[in-house]
Amino acid sequence: MVLDYLLAGMNLVTDVQVLALIVLGVTVGIMFGSMPGLTYSMGIILMLPLTFQLESLPAVALLLGVYIGGMTGGSVSAILLGIPGTPSAAATVLDGFQLTKRGDAAKALGTAVFSSILAGLLSLVVLVLVAPQIARIAIKFGPAEIFALVVFGFSTICGVSAGNLLKGLISGVIGLLVMTIGLDPVMGVPRYTFGMSRLMSGVDLLAAMIGMFAIPQIIANFTASDKEVYVVDQKVSASFPSWSEIRRMLPLMIRCALIGIGIGSIPGSGGPIAAFLGYDQAKRKQGAGGADKPSLEGVAGPEAANNGVTGGALIPLLTLGIPGDPATAILLGALVIHGLRPGPLLFKEYGDFVYGVFVAIFLINLATLLIQFFGIRLFVKILGVQRYYLYPTILVLCVVGAFAVNNNFFDVYVMFFAGVMGYLLQKYGFPTTPVILALVLGPTIEDGFRRALILSSGDLLVFVESPVSIIFLSLTVLVLAKFYLSSGGSRQPGARQPKA
Amino acid sequence: MKRWLPLLLIISLLVPALLVGCTSGDQEAAPGTNGEEADEKKIDFPTKPVEITVLFGAGGGQDLIVRKLAEIGEEKLGQPFVVVNRTGAGGAVGYTYVKDQKPDGYNIVASSNSISTAYHKGNMDFDYRTFRGIAMVVKEPVSIAVKADAPWKTLDELFAYAKEHPGEIKIGNSGVGSFTHLTGVAVSKFYGADVVHVPFGKGLAVSALLGEKIDASVQLAAEVMNQVEAGTVRLLAVTGDKRIEAAPDVPTLKEYGYDGNLTLYRSFHAPKDTPDEVIAILEEVFKYAVESEEFAEFAKELGVQVSFMGAEELDEFVAKDDADTARLMELIGLKK
Repeated sequence: MVLDYLLAGMNLVTDVQVLALIVLGVTVGIMFGSMPGLTYSMGIILMLPLTFQLESLPAVALLLGVYIGGMTGGSVSAILLGIPGTPSAAATVLDGFQLTKRGDAAKALGTAVFSSILAGLLSLVVLVLVAPQIARIAIKFGPAEIFALVVFGFSTICGVSAGNLLKGLISGVIGLLVMTIGLDPVMGVPRYTFGMSRLMSGVDLLAAMIGMFAIPQIIANFTASDKEVYVVDQKVSASFPSWSEIRRMLPLMIRCALIGIGIGSIPGSGGPIAAFLGYDQAKRKQGAGGADKPSLEGVAGPEAANNGVTGGALIPLLTLGIPGDPATAILLGALVIHGLRPGPLLFKEYGDFVYGVFVAIFLINLATLLIQFFGIRLFVKILGVQRYYLYPTILVLCVVGAFAVNNNFFDVYVMFFAGVMGYLLQKYGFPTTPVILALVLGPTIEDGFRRALILSSGDLLVFVESPVSIIFLSLTVLVLAKFYLSSGGSRQPGARQPKA
Repeated sequence: MKRWLPLLLIISLLVPALLVGCTSGDQEAAPGTNGEEADEKKIDFPTKPVEITVLFGAGGGQDLIVRKLAEIGEEKLGQPFVVVNRTGAGGAVGYTYVKDQKPDGYNIVASSNSISTAYHKGNMDFDYRTFRGIAMVVKEPVSIAVKADAPWKTLDELFAYAKEHPGEIKIGNSGVGSFTHLTGVAVSKFYGADVVHVPFGKGLAVSALLGEKIDASVQLAAEVMNQVEAGTVRLLAVTGDKRIEAAPDVPTLKEYGYDGNLTLYRSFHAPKDTPDEVIAILEEVFKYAVESEEFAEFAKELGVQVSFMGAEELDEFVAKDDADTARLMELIGLKK
């Protein structure tokens, strides 16, 4: 039965047109994902009108190619330039960029690709084998459970604070405060808009993220003398991780991939949280360490997690017809216009189509692997570009990217403002990653908290009613306790200053 | 060769950026280039692409419908339609943008009941009178659904239970002040029942219904049909004048005795000073697109009702709808 479907699916996919579209989609995805300022979501939107003319499977293959290629490509600018190509790659910056500064860019990129694809394929296996079962668990995640999960996500601030928890927490609160600007998500009350209608829709996460990562680097590179800037003049050879390194990281990758799949499958929880939890795993278990001792694990963890999300997000989409993140929401639209209504009946009525999608995902992962691996040789060349060419180019890209998010020039101002803020924060030793973490998770945590309270008519006990929330909340307590104890023992005078 | 590689790289980096930049950049420049509009009197319309602002995200119902109509209508128009998503503040961001453009027909907005909800919520300080109608294109019925294994077989049963157990029944909608929220409140007021309305993000109410976090959902019918067909969710009622094709056994709210329309409409509007001749041209284009066979098929897949209405009639319709919406929002206490 399954085999029949699989064969039928393979038949659908092994068609020159579909294969060409997969390659096109992956290439577009990698380009959009890897460019600071442009995201795979934009790539998907750009490709959407094209799919109107296609059959349903080629259309979905194209869009999935952009999605998966983009998710993988996001690591490229995160590692090479310290600017995440997508929010999901924000956690990759931490160790990845430090590795680049040491001249290990190619190795970091290789690790990122390898763990991404491994996680992508693993998520496909899960999708094929146990999608309905996982979906049944995932929909049990109500507002209270999502709230608990996000609280747990916030505990990763401990890990990304570069040794100074207080400053990390301050950064986190700044991020949360910024996210309260605009119409509140539940009652629609304007907050901190100062009567400006522009501010009603709040601060755009992408614009703020682009600014916060890119602008400080641009400023630093313009103000520093040649000597101070890290010069990557060592030949960046494409040295991929060795087998022994891969073997060493394999358990971590699998664990992070599973985290990504799980979180991806919960509608409304979002992908970046998975990446941060993945980084946390890497740091806790294998001792990745930001500026001081960056490790390949710190790249492998978040990259495995965020690519696990790709397959995870398809679980509720295909089995229930509920999109797990913005990218799958667009995908849902594309399916619907082709007369395919994802949901419980999709597998039954369009079995060959569903298996065709599975085969397509497999091929997309392969294509991503190939294109990205060959791309690395090209990508690392960017480090050879003189900074007075490179950084103005990045600035242009950031402005275009911030504008393109909503076709709104206001977001460009937001980007610059966030950038200057980020520069000042870094200058005074505040880590900016917690700000981003809070920007990403802030709306989700507020939604979850307030929705849960509406459901419980204001009873706070709702947060400890289900085993799921109890587990996540106690995990959070555990992490905090462990962090406090371990850092309390070995606290150095004058906490380490993170380098920009 | 080695020397040029960096430059080549930079150029290849910039190409996609320009791609994104251009699709938007072109139109950004358009309103500024006033030169070509000098001889507007002759009504040489359109001489350049017409931009449609969509208030909600790509891939959503509104977006898909607009993109399809744009694709079909382009031929008739003789110039491309360019679809741009300007999202935020329940539509206020996009409305504000279009309002501020030259009223020459090159900037129009894909509107809906959100023109009324966004205004009455206080998200913007201008209302439907800032725009004039071009054409209505579809109507979408709203559905009230419960889980398939829930004890309630009809809307009356659900609300009879709700009346006996005040504050116990939880009904999910897609956001405070959203059209589904208004519908939910209208119905619960009609029955005089005390229920809890829970605002969810788009589509998430269905997931909460399946996960048994809520007892019923008020969602666009198109958003729950897949669950209905799979037998996981039971429809209790739909809004609109007549039963929907996909679920002919489900009674309308009217049949339950509710006197009111409560149907979501989608339409195109232009800034109010746009000349009559231009409106007429656009109206003709959309009439052609909406009544095409291609769109009929598309609408069926989406689960929306094709419903063309011309400019004049639409203006009256929106005025009446706005008054209804204002009354409803007053009831919820959301009216500013």
